[in-house]
Amino acid sequence: MRILIVEDEKKTAGYLKKGLSESGFVVDVVEQGEDGLHHARTGDYDLIILDVMLPKQDGWSVLTEMRRSGEQTPVLFVTARDSIQDRVKGLELGADDYLVKPFAFSELLARVRSILRRGPARQPETLRIADLEIDLLRHKATRAGKRLDLTPKEFALLSLLVRRAGEVLSRTLIAEQVWDMNFDSDTNVVDVSVRRLRSKVDDPFTKKLIHTVRGMGYVLEDR
Amino acid sequence: MSLKTVENTTSYRSASSSPWSWSITRRLTFLYTLSALGMLVISAVFLYWVLVSNLEREDNQFLAAKIQVLRVILRERPDKQEALEEEVKWEGASFQFAKYYARILDEEGRTQIETPGMDNILVSSLFPAPISFIQTPEKGTKWRSNDGRPYLLMAAWAGLGHSRGNQRLVQVALNVSHENALIAEYRRKLAVVLSLGILFSAAVGVAVARKGMRPLEEITKTAQRITVTQLHERITPARWPRELAALATAFDDMLNRLEDSFTRLSQFSADLAHELRTPINNLMGEAEVALSRTRAPNEYRQVLESSLEEYARLSRMVESLLFLARAESTETRIERSLFNGRKEMEAVREFYDALAEEQGVEVICQGNAPLRADQILFRQALSNLLSNALQYTPRSGKIILSIKQTEDEFVEVAVSDTGFGIDPEHLPKLFDRFYRVDPARSRKTSGTGLGLAIVRSIMKLHGGSVAIQSEPAKGTIVSLRFPPTGLSLTSKMTEL
Repeated sequence: MRILIVEDEKKTAGYLKKGLSESGFVVDVVEQGEDGLHHARTGDYDLIILDVMLPKQDGWSVLTEMRRSGEQTPVLFVTARDSIQDRVKGLELGADDYLVKPFAFSELLARVRSILRRGPARQPETLRIADLEIDLLRHKATRAGKRLDLTPKEFALLSLLVRRAGEVLSRTLIAEQVWDMNFDSDTNVVDVSVRRLRSKVDDPFTKKLIHTVRGMGYVLEDR
Repeated sequence: MSLKTVENTTSYRSASSSPWSWSITRRLTFLYTLSALGMLVISAVFLYWVLVSNLEREDNQFLAAKIQVLRVILRERPDKQEALEEEVKWEGASFQFAKYYARILDEEGRTQIETPGMDNILVSSLFPAPISFIQTPEKGTKWRSNDGRPYLLMAAWAGLGHSRGNQRLVQVALNVSHENALIAEYRRKLAVVLSLGILFSAAVGVAVARKGMRPLEEITKTAQRITVTQLHERITPARWPRELAALATAFDDMLNRLEDSFTRLSQFSADLAHELRTPINNLMGEAEVALSRTRAPNEYRQVLESSLEEYARLSRMVESLLFLARAESTETRIERSLFNGRKEMEAVREFYDALAEEQGVEVICQGNAPLRADQILFRQALSNLLSNALQYTPRSGKIILSIKQTEDEFVEVAVSDTGFGIDPEHLPKLFDRFYRVDPARSRKTSGTGLGLAIVRSIMKLHGGSVAIQSEPAKGTIVSLRFPPTGLSLTSKMTEL
């Protein structure tokens, strides 16, 4: 998958490129809006990460011109401006998502994957990681053939982790997806909930599936 | 701040020198002088009129008396020429200023006798139609000779002797030029008096206005003395006249508010710097130590992970501060929707379920009411309060989330706990940014110290209010009051 980053701040561009490359993407970086426009038209990218505040031609107009010329590559806006109007403007211009600085890299990665996954992807009924199996239709989870006794929220948390297995999910994202709490909370509520989930999913078994990534969040994977 | 003060004074000055905005002193002086002038003119005109009419009346009376005298002479002593001559020829000469003339004509209009020289000036045809001999003469006719002298003329028939039939025409005239001169002289004097009066009243006006305005100038001077470093100065209403006392009070109140905000602001800056210092210090220290020599990859990883935690903390703090700053700008609008308050409450409770269970604290929801509010902000406010309550409630404690509609149609949402409670001294400052009851605890809890400030901002945005009651060792109740649900959707932020 090829990603184009249009970002004039060198440090930001640097770590984005590094992080995304290491996650298996092919990444190009340009610093100016005009170059970005040129690359977007000529290169075959699957996603463009666009900074709003660029010298000369800003992100808004790059996106506007792109969409006008029929270029439909998904665009993820990245900016320090986060008023509601800015968000709305970005989305109205045809951006696929909007991320406000400072953001966690894991968050960016999750959004990038989510955009690239969009489309006619069909949700399977059952998901399986190692010996863990969850049935999304019947709200049933089993591990090594044994039924796990989960509360509805615990099941929601587990299915989120399983659906996005291998992705580091931040606490904010988890609170948003499982409890619909769309704001940053200072609490360690998510930690406690994950701990309780672990006690049911991992503790009885030698192989651990849910891992803490310190400073970032949680990931479920078969290591 | 000081720059602003300078700008203000200059704009004040430039406004006062523009042609259409006279100073109050000038206006007062002008009006004062105008009214004084009005009074002077009215009295002068009145006096002038009295003088003129008096003089005229006297002249008329004089001539009428003369006519009566001549009538008497003609009636009683028609043959005695001397008496007539005496009266007609010489009487006029005896007056020092006003020259008096008289003429007697027979029925055919032939002059019988007249004051010498009268023929040259006042021919008989000039006189008005004579009144009949039974009428009493009253008002003469004014006439001006070629050389500009004014005369008062009167004519009347007089009976000659007691026999009916014979009549004589009496014509009398009075040179009133002296009186006109007198009036003119009077006019001149009036003008002088008037102009002196105006000057005098203007001068008095200026003095009075200046004296009247002095308190204002002093108030201005006092106000100018107040700078950022001397925000504690006050104008003290007691010192000023009643009209200015209100202004002084208002000004002092404004200063109080300013000083309060200013103190809060500087306190906030200090707190912010302090809050930033700790994580930055950690970051710098850890990085420096890590780089001071070669380490195993695992150690680097630990440093980076630790930094990430600090960054997340800083980022959350910035996020919260931005939220607070936005909430304070009057432009901010919120997206209200109508929802079931109890349902939202249950959702928040569910979010904290695991944590509450872990801490052995029971969380209960009570009551129900529909609510028109910003759903996300409502959840956030409730979440912040519940999080606080959980932090300060010991094991086997109880937290009650309740919602109800009050009699005045407000919706009251309360979070009450059986926690440690808060000392009364802390209560007023609890909603300030970064305020912490126990400074030593600040780093142990994961909070940024902005939770309650955010709750207050959220309530402000909704036009509602937040109140806190607490009793040490018993518990705390925080209640949120949302205004009636029928409120307009785009209600702007209002002062708490």
